[in-house]
Amino acid sequence: MDCDDCLEKLYAFLDQELGSSERKQVASHLEGCTDCGDNLAFEERFLQVIRDCGTSDVAPAELRRRVAERLRSDVPPTTA
Amino acid sequence: MAEDAFESEALSYIDALYRTALRMTRSEADAEDLVQETYVRALRFREQFTPGTNLKAWLFRILTNTFINAYRKRARQPQTAELDDVDEFSLYRRMSRDTPGSNNADPEQEFLDGIVSSEVKEALAALPEKFRTTVLLDVEGFSYKEIAEMVGVPIGTVMSRLHRGRRFLQRKLYEVARERGIAALRTSGPRPD
Repeated sequence: MDCDDCLEKLYAFLDQELGSSERKQVASHLEGCTDCGDNLAFEERFLQVIRDCGTSDVAPAELRRRVAERLRSDVPPTTA
Repeated sequence: MAEDAFESEALSYIDALYRTALRMTRSEADAEDLVQETYVRALRFREQFTPGTNLKAWLFRILTNTFINAYRKRARQPQTAELDDVDEFSLYRRMSRDTPGSNNADPEQEFLDGIVSSEVKEALAALPEKFRTTVLLDVEGFSYKEIAEMVGVPIGTVMSRLHRGRRFLQRKLYEVARERGIAALRTSGPRPD
């Protein structure tokens, strides 16, 4: 596997979506290639920042209250 | 699944559903309506849910379908953003190129540390809709297969959209950082005392 092949599979590798054979090939390349290893580390940190920031919002309290009430009562919705 | 368990577990996903709805619709009022509609449908069709399977994924499938069918047409669209040229954009490469011999030992880390939450949220909301839903579902931790089923596209399309969507986010955040000056290290010299 060369660097281009490795970079093409980098996201699938990070997302743990590669089959065991491809995963081993990428891992093996990463062991011997500092540049791809640095690239991987950067992409991994970048995705973590996106996930941390992208999952920080919470629902408004009033919406939560309304939905909780609906779930408790489980009344068929009106079609108003 | 006992009724109480279904309801309490369903409610536990409201934050995730709301923030996803907010970025899908780009409107707080529409996001609230979309989330309420999702729960109404979930209750209406709860017999179709198989206890023991993934309730979060089931609710997100309802959310995604409801958005696609009812909200997408009227969702406020951002300025048309072409993704034709994002494929080759690599922030890692750009940082390496922009900061040769930088005084900073780790410009990539400095860039990542400088990103603030509101910028990420704006960048996510700025994604063109076709890519945005896939990226948002990924952010919430769904697998390629789960996203493919929710959006109704092949796994290869999910991979392609994620790749391009992430590169779009990188370019957007890089541009923001440049405006802030954090990434403009090429022109920066040693700071005066």
